Amino acid sequence: MNQQRVRKYVEQYLSAFSSHIMETHPDFLTVKLPVEVDKDIGNRPFYWSWVEKMNLPYQPLVLTFCFDPDRMPDDRRAEHLHLGAARLQQIFQSTRKHGSFVCMYETLPQTRAQASSRQSVPLVPWLGVNWKVSFICDKKRDLILHFGVNLHQPHIVRDFYPFLLQRQLAPSIPDYHYTLDRRITISQAFAMMEAEIRRILAQEDQTWAAAAKQRLEEELQILEAYYRELEERQRRTADDGNEAANEADKGGDELQDGHSGKSTGSASSAADNVESAAAEPNGSLNLLLEQETERQTTAIQAVSPSLEEHRSAGGRILDFLRANSFQETPREKIDQTEWVASTPEEEKRRRMEEMRWQYEPRISVQFINGGLFYLQSAPPSAPPHGNGRKM
Amino acid sequence: MPNVPVSFDADWMDLLNERMKQDGPWDKWELFQLTLEAEEAMAIREFDQLQCLQYLPTLQPFPHQLQTAERVLNEMRGRAILADEVGLGKTIEAGLIMKEYMIRGLAKKILILVPASLVIQWTKELNQKFGIPAVAQKKEYMWRQYDVVVASIDTAKRDPHRRHVLDIDYDMLIIDEAHKLKNKKTRNYQFVKEIRKKYCLLLTATPIQNEMDELYNLINLLKPGHLGHTSSFSTTYVEGKRQAKNNEQLKTELDKVMIRNRRSDGGVHFTSRRVQSIPIELSPEEAALYQGVTRFVKEQYHTGSGGYNSLALITLQREVCSSREAAFLTLYNMHQRAAEDSPVRAEIMELVEMIKKIESHSKAAKAVELIQQINDKVIIFTEYRATQNYLQKYLHDHGITSVPFRGGFKRSKKDWMTELFQNRAQVLIATEAGGEGINLQFCNQVINYDMPWNPMRVEQRIGRVHRLGQQRDVHIYNLSTVGTIEEHILQLLYEKIDLFEMVIGELDDIVERLNLKQSLEENLISIIMDSSSEKEMALKLDNMGQAIRAMRLARKTKEPLPETAEQ
Repeated sequence: MNQQRVRKYVEQYLSAFSSHIMETHPDFLTVKLPVEVDKDIGNRPFYWSWVEKMNLPYQPLVLTFCFDPDRMPDDRRAEHLHLGAARLQQIFQSTRKHGSFVCMYETLPQTRAQASSRQSVPLVPWLGVNWKVSFICDKKRDLILHFGVNLHQPHIVRDFYPFLLQRQLAPSIPDYHYTLDRRITISQAFAMMEAEIRRILAQEDQTWAAAAKQRLEEELQILEAYYRELEERQRRTADDGNEAANEADKGGDELQDGHSGKSTGSASSAADNVESAAAEPNGSLNLLLEQETERQTTAIQAVSPSLEEHRSAGGRILDFLRANSFQETPREKIDQTEWVASTPEEEKRRRMEEMRWQYEPRISVQFINGGLFYLQSAPPSAPPHGNGRKM
Repeated sequence: MPNVPVSFDADWMDLLNERMKQDGPWDKWELFQLTLEAEEAMAIREFDQLQCLQYLPTLQPFPHQLQTAERVLNEMRGRAILADEVGLGKTIEAGLIMKEYMIRGLAKKILILVPASLVIQWTKELNQKFGIPAVAQKKEYMWRQYDVVVASIDTAKRDPHRRHVLDIDYDMLIIDEAHKLKNKKTRNYQFVKEIRKKYCLLLTATPIQNEMDELYNLINLLKPGHLGHTSSFSTTYVEGKRQAKNNEQLKTELDKVMIRNRRSDGGVHFTSRRVQSIPIELSPEEAALYQGVTRFVKEQYHTGSGGYNSLALITLQREVCSSREAAFLTLYNMHQRAAEDSPVRAEIMELVEMIKKIESHSKAAKAVELIQQINDKVIIFTEYRATQNYLQKYLHDHGITSVPFRGGFKRSKKDWMTELFQNRAQVLIATEAGGEGINLQFCNQVINYDMPWNPMRVEQRIGRVHRLGQQRDVHIYNLSTVGTIEEHILQLLYEKIDLFEMVIGELDDIVERLNLKQSLEENLISIIMDSSSEKEMALKLDNMGQAIRAMRLARKTKEPLPETAEQ
């Protein structure tokens, strides 16, 4: 997105909210933010919660966006807007929030015959959805797909959105038009799209996934070999240790090397040693369980409603913070002595999980936006595959 | 796609059905279009191409930094040791890689572990240069509240922080100064090993300081088993503790996990240093004081009648070269410490009388002249607080604006002073070059008002301005009073061993490898104090200069690992 495009984007965004542009200059523009925009990109949730609770008139935020970092206005605070700027990302988010679902009707200039006959024109219902398909391994690539599903006579077309851009669309149904009934549900239409996407994916170049799998396989083998040898070694040193212990004074405690901490005291027979060694995994298992419960509690914390949801339900920010903010660990619970290094087993498991996390190929199909489109003209129903395969 | 799991987003259906039922509220067609446009702009079209630059219009990375980022992404798959030599911008490389993964939506939760003194600098740099909303960890809740957290490893490893860190799945883990993790028996090493991470960058300028094992341990944090086991690693690759064998093979293996850019590779243009010695003739009164103090110091050093330790005496000797204020303060303290009836008191009083007689200060006057001549931002370094205060007043009297800078300032005050210097004042008077992370590249004029005897400190001083990002040549002015110790030091240490001509970071290496840092200052002290004549002192200093020179040459011809491994 070049700077010209960024500027155009911001202007279109602001005008969609009927913002008051106070000054416009080739290098920058100054705008008074409308309420909706201010709430989305103004970064002042506390201010808004206060104004609304106290029922006060609000002071609109005035911002200056500059599009050329070398030519910032010097008489006011300005911020450089570019693709990487946090503010532009907020604007993107705000756009998305207010641009997810539409319902549009095609308006064609009526022919004289239609006008004179006062005959009503039927409009065909379509579901249009824009998808982002992401191919993910340790790297990532995206593919954007635009589908349309005819809900009256069920069939699917690709590149529906470019087609829409060439139509005249209005948010309300024009006079002397009526809509045809929908014969399939949204979820049935989704099923059609899902099948179509899977079919397209089957035709996509798959070397990336194969390569990722191979990398993963190699990495896992290295880990496997490494930890197998580590285990051997530990067993050998443990054996050595036991022999030494057996020879040593039988009553004394023997400090064992590494994670296992103290063994249960030097035993006179090897069998006892095996037992005590077997007992340890149990100990670490208990610890794992503890960690697991702890993790679950934090997971519960994580699913508590977001600030946004809390506020839209009429809650106060302060209450939200009290309920959700992270509690400091009380001093008496802080324990520096509790330190348990993972066993080689645990470590191996963790490292392997990391590798899978990093490499395992997967595809995620995300909904960008979509809507109902009532059309008079039919999109070209060329076979949906074959064209528009952008790599 | 066979065998590749595909997940479909289905949440939208309920939302759409709900709106259909209510017939609205529907969004605007314009915003619908803009939403798609934003998605198109941010979609990643290629697996391999670096995307982050279009998000960073003001950043101008060097070619080697871009190459490094690309290699880490495409060849090393996000797990690498970044081992560039000092001053080549490892932070920038790490920032690029981090940004790239964030843009691709592959990294969100990121932990950056750095030495405590660098936490703020990292946070600042990530925010300012990369637009990455990093925060410095201060409170316990921050581990979870924020996605990109910068913390010191010593904090992170302690309870209760440890519990949070070990409980989080980090998309990316970055460790600066990673050579501190060379020993696998340390708590820090063990701790880092426990962290769950997807991508991992280890930054260090010195991947090997002493033993080959250190490198092995670092790699094991990144990719366990990549170089086999300790023993197989040793048998395959290690000759002596510091010597590698099977270099070719080791190099290939290292290439898979480590990138080391070197200054000598070229590509990075450092501006040059222009060094100038400014000799200063002492006025007769000043010369008398210098002689008096020198006599006093030597006498005390040999007889010890006043009970002063040699360090205090040598300090006095050096202070008198800097300013009478600095010397006066020390003399005053010595006077107070001496017994009431000690003959030392009288001697000191005599010296103080000499100080009183001095009306002009030749060095300060020269400095003012120099500053006026430069007519640009200047940093003056001095070793002494008293000199600093005096200079500030002196410059003020001559209509030159200045701000002080001391190591003892709080971080915020340091930043404030830096900003004042950049925007308001002409001169920054600093007592200490340290304060990592104070970047003063906008200034290219340095006056060494007096000389530290430790070359590392001189290098640190210059390093504040002569680093990547300095656009202009750096001018260094060394003030030295003629016929004093200062002159000798400057001449022998700094001119004979070409200290100022060394490339950035070279001295680091020399001093670190040859371990001469401790002995250097001590040697100087004994040479200066024990020489019976000027001539003897000059000769001894000259010998010392030659020794260092020889070490430097030796280093150039015989570079230990990892350099050998890379050739």
